Amino acid sequence: MIVVRPYILILGTAMAGMALTSCLDEYPKGEVEEAEAYTSVAYIERDLVGDLYNYIGGDSPSHGLQGTIRGVYDWNSVTTDEQMMPVRGADWDDGGFWNRLYNHRWTSSDGELSSTWKYLYEVISRCNRSLYFIDRYRYRLVLTNEQYEAFTAEVRGLRAMFYFYTMDMFGNIPLVTDYNTPVSDIRQSPRSEVFRFIFNELQEVAPYLKGERSNELGNYYGRFTRPVAYFLLAKLALNAEVYSDNDWTDGIRPDGKSIYFSVDEKQLNAWETVVYYCQEIYDLGYRLEEYYGTNFAIHNEVSKENIFVIPMDNNLYSNRFNYIFRSLHAAHGGAIGWGTENGTCATVSTMNAYGITEDNPSKRDPGEIDSRYYINFHSDTVLVKGQKVNDGYGNVLVYHPLEVAENLTGSPFERNGGARMAKYETDFTASEDGTLQNNDIVLFRYADVLLMQAEAKVRNGGSGQEEMDFVRSRVHEKIREATLDNLLTERLLELMWEGWRRNDLIRFGKFTELYDHRVNAVVDNTGYTTVFPITGDVLSLNPNMVQNPGY
Amino acid sequence: MYHESVKKNDSWYFHLFLKKKEGENLVIQIFVHIFASKNSNYISTMKTVSKRRITLCLLLSLIVTTGLEAQNRSFVLSDDSTHNIGGSTVVIDQKRMNRGLMTNSLQALTGQAAGLNVQTSGANRMAMLNSVRLRGTTSLTGGNEPLVIIDGVYSNLSALSGIYPADIESFTILKNAAETAPYGSQGASGVIVVTTKKGQGAQFHISYDGNIGFEAAYKQLDMLDANEYVATARQLHKPYVDGGNDTDFQRALRRTGFAQNHHIAFSGGSDKQHYRASLAYMGENTVITNNSYRNFAAKLDVSQQAFDDILTIDLGVVGSSQRNNDIFDEQKLFYSAATQNPTYPNGPNASGGWDCNINATQINNPLALIVEEDKDKVLNFNSHIKLNYRIGKDWNVTAFGSYSFVSSENSQFKPTWIWAHGQADRSETKSEAWLGNIAVNWTHDWGVHHLAAKQMAEYQSHTTTAFNATVRGLSHNTVTNNNLAAGSMRQYGATGSSYMNDALLSFLTQVDYRLMDKYTVTVNARVDGSSMFADDHKWGLFPSLSATWDLRKESFFDDFDWLSQLKLRAGMGISGNLGGITAYNTLALLYPTGLVPWYGTATVTYTPKTNPNPDLHWERRGSYNIGADMGFFRNLVVLTVEYYHSNTRDMLYLYDVPVPPYTFDKMLANLGRMSNKGFEMGIGYSPIHKRDMELNINLNMSYQKNKLISLSGNYNGTYFSAPDMSSIASLNGAGFHGGNNNIVYQIVGQPLGVFYLPHCLGLVTQDDGTTCYEIEDLDGNGRINIEDGGDRYIAGQATPKWTLGSNISFRYYDFDISIQMNGAFGHKIYNGTSLSYMNMRGFPDYNVLTDAPKYNINDQTATDYWLERGDYLNFDYITVGYTFPRKLLSRHISALRLSLSINNPATITGYSGLTPMINSFAVNSTMGIDDKRSYPPYCSYSLGFSIQF
Repeated sequence: MIVVRPYILILGTAMAGMALTSCLDEYPKGEVEEAEAYTSVAYIERDLVGDLYNYIGGDSPSHGLQGTIRGVYDWNSVTTDEQMMPVRGADWDDGGFWNRLYNHRWTSSDGELSSTWKYLYEVISRCNRSLYFIDRYRYRLVLTNEQYEAFTAEVRGLRAMFYFYTMDMFGNIPLVTDYNTPVSDIRQSPRSEVFRFIFNELQEVAPYLKGERSNELGNYYGRFTRPVAYFLLAKLALNAEVYSDNDWTDGIRPDGKSIYFSVDEKQLNAWETVVYYCQEIYDLGYRLEEYYGTNFAIHNEVSKENIFVIPMDNNLYSNRFNYIFRSLHAAHGGAIGWGTENGTCATVSTMNAYGITEDNPSKRDPGEIDSRYYINFHSDTVLVKGQKVNDGYGNVLVYHPLEVAENLTGSPFERNGGARMAKYETDFTASEDGTLQNNDIVLFRYADVLLMQAEAKVRNGGSGQEEMDFVRSRVHEKIREATLDNLLTERLLELMWEGWRRNDLIRFGKFTELYDHRVNAVVDNTGYTTVFPITGDVLSLNPNMVQNPGY
Repeated sequence: MYHESVKKNDSWYFHLFLKKKEGENLVIQIFVHIFASKNSNYISTMKTVSKRRITLCLLLSLIVTTGLEAQNRSFVLSDDSTHNIGGSTVVIDQKRMNRGLMTNSLQALTGQAAGLNVQTSGANRMAMLNSVRLRGTTSLTGGNEPLVIIDGVYSNLSALSGIYPADIESFTILKNAAETAPYGSQGASGVIVVTTKKGQGAQFHISYDGNIGFEAAYKQLDMLDANEYVATARQLHKPYVDGGNDTDFQRALRRTGFAQNHHIAFSGGSDKQHYRASLAYMGENTVITNNSYRNFAAKLDVSQQAFDDILTIDLGVVGSSQRNNDIFDEQKLFYSAATQNPTYPNGPNASGGWDCNINATQINNPLALIVEEDKDKVLNFNSHIKLNYRIGKDWNVTAFGSYSFVSSENSQFKPTWIWAHGQADRSETKSEAWLGNIAVNWTHDWGVHHLAAKQMAEYQSHTTTAFNATVRGLSHNTVTNNNLAAGSMRQYGATGSSYMNDALLSFLTQVDYRLMDKYTVTVNARVDGSSMFADDHKWGLFPSLSATWDLRKESFFDDFDWLSQLKLRAGMGISGNLGGITAYNTLALLYPTGLVPWYGTATVTYTPKTNPNPDLHWERRGSYNIGADMGFFRNLVVLTVEYYHSNTRDMLYLYDVPVPPYTFDKMLANLGRMSNKGFEMGIGYSPIHKRDMELNINLNMSYQKNKLISLSGNYNGTYFSAPDMSSIASLNGAGFHGGNNNIVYQIVGQPLGVFYLPHCLGLVTQDDGTTCYEIEDLDGNGRINIEDGGDRYIAGQATPKWTLGSNISFRYYDFDISIQMNGAFGHKIYNGTSLSYMNMRGFPDYNVLTDAPKYNINDQTATDYWLERGDYLNFDYITVGYTFPRKLLSRHISALRLSLSINNPATITGYSGLTPMINSFAVNSTMGIDDKRSYPPYCSYSLGFSIQF
């Protein structure tokens, strides 16, 4: 028999165990460790710059500047007189969410607002991370100065764009530019400071950005190029009166004529700055398309008008476009081959602006109707590939553009009230109920540039008639005088469904008015609702944060 | 028969389901309904038994009484089972395992131990697997499921469900820290030790047991039928479609379920070697079409003694192959079945398509949905070897090694005519686990002292790899998911694979000291090292201490004849938990994110997707328990009581972190605290204990109180204060997307899972004649604002405060009868089904309950109006058996038994929905809410046969 001493066994057991401690190290195989990721210049550019383009659009709620629901787009559109989401029977009550948007009754506990904030800052933080790592590897991988400037310019430009959306929504926001900032150093800056920061950043990086078209297929498709920066600079300057105002509830706004920017070594006031950057965009070759619809066609990459788009491809990118899907009547979608949600529609005041004052098409004067009505909306009798559509109850589906109310439940127009979103050419090859379409989502385009230019000229005491005429004559509409009121209406007609309405209404001081049928709207005499509240979770997680006035 | 009642407030109904034998082959069912109400404000309807149903019941009963049976267990009776009720170490041997029709080993445990909750609602086994809880939820992130150890192999509930109940010798339930300590961190949420049957003795045995049974649903929702539907739509002047049929879609989905189990076992050997081999088959077609389960299992155990009995070798192999045909989306299916337009045909329309109201966007034709596939094929292979080497009198060494392999293949198919427009998915997960340990044991007795010590080292490694593929745009429905080439689209993210590995290294020292057979002290110290934590935090020390005092053996109790047993127990310990987390959380990793256009090519980029936490460490739970075991009058009555208290610290959870500066809003960290305390009691009463007659009544009860103490703390010197309130579960379906539809919350200072709701004062009639819920202005600000922090209050908890399990068994000569009951009390259920189906807003696109037109509620605001008491007492089964006396059997037959069972004969509850047995235990998005997804309650009738040679 083998004799084994017990203490040897105990010792042996313990030693065998010790020998195995190295087995507690982790070796992931399906992921890449950060320390080993940035081994070449190409990887740096792809994963620290290119990766950021995953977050312009999106495929989940609140994630994406446009295309997804309950995010930046909805807070800027469904909150206005442009479009709304009526309650339709069992659908779209959604805990009162859409009703709160329409009536401006949002609160700091709205989860969707919090998600939007988190999305915007997630991207800003990703930009800061990219800048941090580009700096870290700059000398290790010997980036040329040219490479370094190009990479950082693109990231800073994107970051400025996200700061623009965040500031526009939330006013006083934290300016974080260092990836490793501790929570205790995070506090809000006044809106004007954030505004100046964004403006300066864009001005600084613009020369290092490629002067290429971003909407065209090619090396710079979907990317932040110089015209995109110029567009944002013009947009920022146009809203300078709003953004320079740190106390937006006192009813006093600074005058754009006395807000100065240093542009091209000159001091220009806000309106001159707008005109300057609009001209720059023209000089880069942007023009109006002959046909309005070309910008929203399935293959709109060829548009010479679009400036910045979210690339869409049925088989490649995961970016979604939910707005037609959620707007069309289910039978309408069914006829196309999609299961659509029968939700959003244009408001009555929007319909009136388009010249629709009679619900019955035969009673309308065709001359009064803006030609863009037929492109922007599905309205009246629905045709799919030339065929009428059965509404599911055996009747022909007819949308009634003027039969819109906050709550259509029980009304005969519960399901078919309101004109629906068209605008983008119907892509019959789109999958996922039409949300994966091939038409790129248009964020910035040249018609807006012309209207900004016109408005700036008018506000500076000049005439914007020429620019406005370009826009109207392209759609074969009669000339209208370029007054501020007419310009605001023109922006609605031209830029319908494009996500600018809240921004426009605030600039024109009309966001707090009881427009359309907002009888239940919150009473806001100070303008506090022009800025959304900082949400409760953000406030509770960082004691430095201060709530916006009025909330 | 089916019964529905839509009720409010305090109406209670009792639904008694009796069976009475008359003559030879006739069975009559009697239904008794009693309504008692504190106020008359209840809505209730009762349908009398339809003729068809009586016929069905009679037919079933005829079949049942003329030849079939139930009873799954072998019939070995063990004498001391009543001694273990309700204590901390509960041993559930064969006698105490549940009888009746068993389709899953877990069912054998239901209601058998205080503090153990096995949720068996519905037929969805995966749901059941996820909701086995020992002493409730102690961790927020996970790892709340008890550890399952099958013959020494670290395993899980899913593997247990693959073992045939008759192959199980006993379950041992360990709950206290001192008892679970030897199993380390994985046993933090309790341990279920499963001992399977091995060969014994030298004699050759062969046995067969099996059962066959039918299942039939007995209750469904009382929706408007075709005539009522059309009449109501006309009356309300709403556009509707009359398809000219009268289809009960709930019934159309159903069938008579059928279950059969067969098990055959051989054993034998000599005095130095034993073997046992068994083959088993379990099959169940549930009451819902296309929903079925199959399991084939084989098991072999060999034991050999060698070298003059110094070395003992035990070797075991278990293999099983399960096929689960699940319902892809229970909620969508049952929601569609209830609310589909009843005038549509019961089948495809004339053109071969499926009629569906296109305006009802949230539902599909249920008969088209039922064609969806969600199939799992799970292959389990398990092998272990144990060597026991005896060295002299006091020493022995054991070495144990095991390897297990699980391959789980999921295949899904969504046909072209429903929401997904033709989609097929295949995925496969393979996991491998190695375990090896070596232990040195020393025992020594001198005088009145007994000392046992153990030193063990153990290493475990666990690797999981997975692969998945999805295609859309199928050209043919007939190929389902058998040829993914039928799909035209493979989007980015539709294919993927993964690899994950973690390891655990442990050392255990255990000392057990007993004095005079009266005083026992056990000390455990276990050190666990996990690969999932960063270098500085890998190791955790988890000590425990327990003591027992057998008072009965003290001389001062000598005269107390009536006291047959009195033992005091106490224990305390610290355990660690990491069950809820996965590997690589401490590393800064980059993942492929998505495709972007990049220099003319669609390119995949890499990026982080979580905030890494290099400071991650063990979640710790400190607990103590104190209890007593008592026996009176020669153990005629035995009583076990125990109180426990545990405190979870450094709770692993995805905490909210401020954005900015963090990139993502959640971070896995150790911050919060939670406490659990409870009281458990078991009573066994054997009033009759004679040769020809025996009556045993067992009852276990447990009270549990959970509290979320804190969700904040310091991380890296920064104080994180997570929101005190966040939603766990909310409503789904038409008009319930987002907004204020959150129902169940976790709120600091409250138990996990409380209802936080607006208060409804009652129904009020509006100008247009419809009614709506009148909401109280609880915060007194003059307006109704029902968002969090506004007009809401804490209205009750989702987890039962009390649970009860009881078994009554009676034997008269060779006949025996056994009844098992289960109950849960003190919790509430949100009846989201009634909120949705009483809402007239969606009518006629969505059908409604028969009472809905009368109340004409045009409102779907979630208030406490539909919050109901969830108390219930369920009769799990009743089994009648006959064991043939030896004298009637031939020489080769050593035992023969027949039995007859009814599972789920009755539920006593005040809850008005389909069933109160919903998810009340597992903290997830369905917790506490009956939201259009309840599986129709059903009974099963079965006959069991068991023979041994």
